[in-house]
Amino acid sequence: MDKKTHDLTRGEKEKIIVIRNLNKYFGELKAVSNVNLEIKRGQVVVIIGPSGSGKSTLLRCINHLEEPTTGDILIDGVKLRHKSKSLNAIRREVGMVFQQFNLFPHLTVLENITIAQKIVRKRSKKDAIEIARQQLERVGIPEKENSYPIQLSGGQQQRVAIARALAMSPKVMLFDEPTSALDPEMINEVLDVMLDLAKEGMTMVVVTHEMGFARNAADRIIFMDYGAIIEDTTPNKLYNNPKHERTKLFLSKILH
Amino acid sequence: MKSDDSTFVPHQSQLSATLSEVPWWLLVVMLVGLIMVYNITTNEDYSSIFSFLKNGVFITVRVTITAYIFAVIIGLLAGLGRVSKNPIIYNIATLYVQIMRGIPILVTILYVSFVLYPMIIDGVAWVAQSIAVIGLGDSEGFWANITASDINRMMGGAEYSMLYRGIMALALSYGSFSAEIFRAGIESIEKGQMEAARSLGMSYIQAMRYIILPQAIRRVLPPLGNDFIAMLKESSLVSVLGVRDITQLGKLYSARSFLYLETYNQVAFLYLTMTILLSLGVRALENRLKSGQ
Ligand SMILES: Nc1ncnc2c1ncn2[C@@H]1O[C@H](COP(=O)(O)OP(=O)(O)O)[C@@H](O)[C@H]1O
Ligand SMILES: [Mg+2]
Repeated sequence: MDKKTHDLTRGEKEKIIVIRNLNKYFGELKAVSNVNLEIKRGQVVVIIGPSGSGKSTLLRCINHLEEPTTGDILIDGVKLRHKSKSLNAIRREVGMVFQQFNLFPHLTVLENITIAQKIVRKRSKKDAIEIARQQLERVGIPEKENSYPIQLSGGQQQRVAIARALAMSPKVMLFDEPTSALDPEMINEVLDVMLDLAKEGMTMVVVTHEMGFARNAADRIIFMDYGAIIEDTTPNKLYNNPKHERTKLFLSKILH
Repeated sequence: MKSDDSTFVPHQSQLSATLSEVPWWLLVVMLVGLIMVYNITTNEDYSSIFSFLKNGVFITVRVTITAYIFAVIIGLLAGLGRVSKNPIIYNIATLYVQIMRGIPILVTILYVSFVLYPMIIDGVAWVAQSIAVIGLGDSEGFWANITASDINRMMGGAEYSMLYRGIMALALSYGSFSAEIFRAGIESIEKGQMEAARSLGMSYIQAMRYIILPQAIRRVLPPLGNDFIAMLKESSLVSVLGVRDITQLGKLYSARSFLYLETYNQVAFLYLTMTILLSLGVRALENRLKSGQ
């Protein structure tokens, strides 16, 4: 294994996510259709597309919350195989932020951020708390560490969820419509945190229809429809001359 | 009532609202209780029945608490099996639950006591003999010739043996009820909780232990409490084994003295007192859990 790593060219090493010929069926329904995708370290990739086009499923395949029907996924050169022990090891390198936050309601904010550090990363309680406090500082709510999730606004909950994922020191962050469940006045506080993260060089895959974020942060933007990648380009090119009719139609809807 | 009486209506409905909020049923029970206590202290028949039944209360409580603890442990394990994605574990757990739910508890008690328990004791004797003969190379000593009745004697003789059989049967029966309570509790936790835990790198077992079960247990406490009350009542079935619980002592005393009314009044009232106190406790717990959220 060590030999192989040395043999890799620098280009290969830069690809932190490699997806080859990915297909995902739910029964008869093809949710993801023959997706090939390579993402380099530090890239910010935004995925857009109509509801039901397979964006969430693609994202969930990347950390195997869904088992791909066929195809390969490599994270930092390691192939994911379902049910293998290495899956937990890979998952902690891939942070995920959900639309519905999914904070643990029976734990305080601080416990939400420290629990996986302690039992998965095997960090000491002291280290875990220190890291949790740094992350809370970063997302701008250090004063809430002893609150329970239910006592927080939606925007605050989502920022805690981001802090929780970041505290695991992941190599990649996945975001599945992180602002869709938020009241409009709270969207920016979450997007600002994500923008900072992008500037710091985190590799991010973000499903969102927030075009401001895409314009400011994305290196690439991907348009999906019927489970397939239709366009894979830069935000500017996509707005200024989308190649496909379907992309134009979709953009005209979300850019009102 | 006509509308010109309207000034009166609020007054009256307030009064009737207050009256309907009084827990009359509890007052009736308490009144009957007072009469019972009065009888026990003044009436010789009542007081000698009471001092006879008193010993049964300890047995009833002991059977219930012991069987309940085992039932909750079995129920937790079987409940986890019922939500498992492993088909072998799932099917074993489901088979157990379905068998226990499909057999009357009285039949389970008889079956466990006179079929399963003797089989287990025979099995233990056989294993002990095998270890002594094959493992220790000792075919003469005590362990090599141990029999099922030796083991029964070592466990406290016939009286305790029946107690254990009753406890085992109740635990197995109620384990299946607890299993379904745990299953429902676990399934009531939003799917996103498990996904968030797994996405942080937790294993399935870690996610269950630290994220799902702590939330599920809060939700299953009230139904588990109700099962405890049900088990307290159903523990009276072990009287068919001759276990000297409240019911068995009541049967013995009334058959001897022909004081059926006086005896069964007290038997019924002893159960009623315990179950009402417990159900008030469960309700208080429910309210605390609700306000805690
Ligand atoms: N667990 C599931 N079981 C069955 N069908 C599913 C499941 N998850 C998603 N789907 C279906 O797969 C398709 C893609 O869904 P999804 O990836 O959630 O789309 P998007 O995130 O782009 O809105 C949809 O038709 C959806 O109904
Ligand atoms: Mg989605």
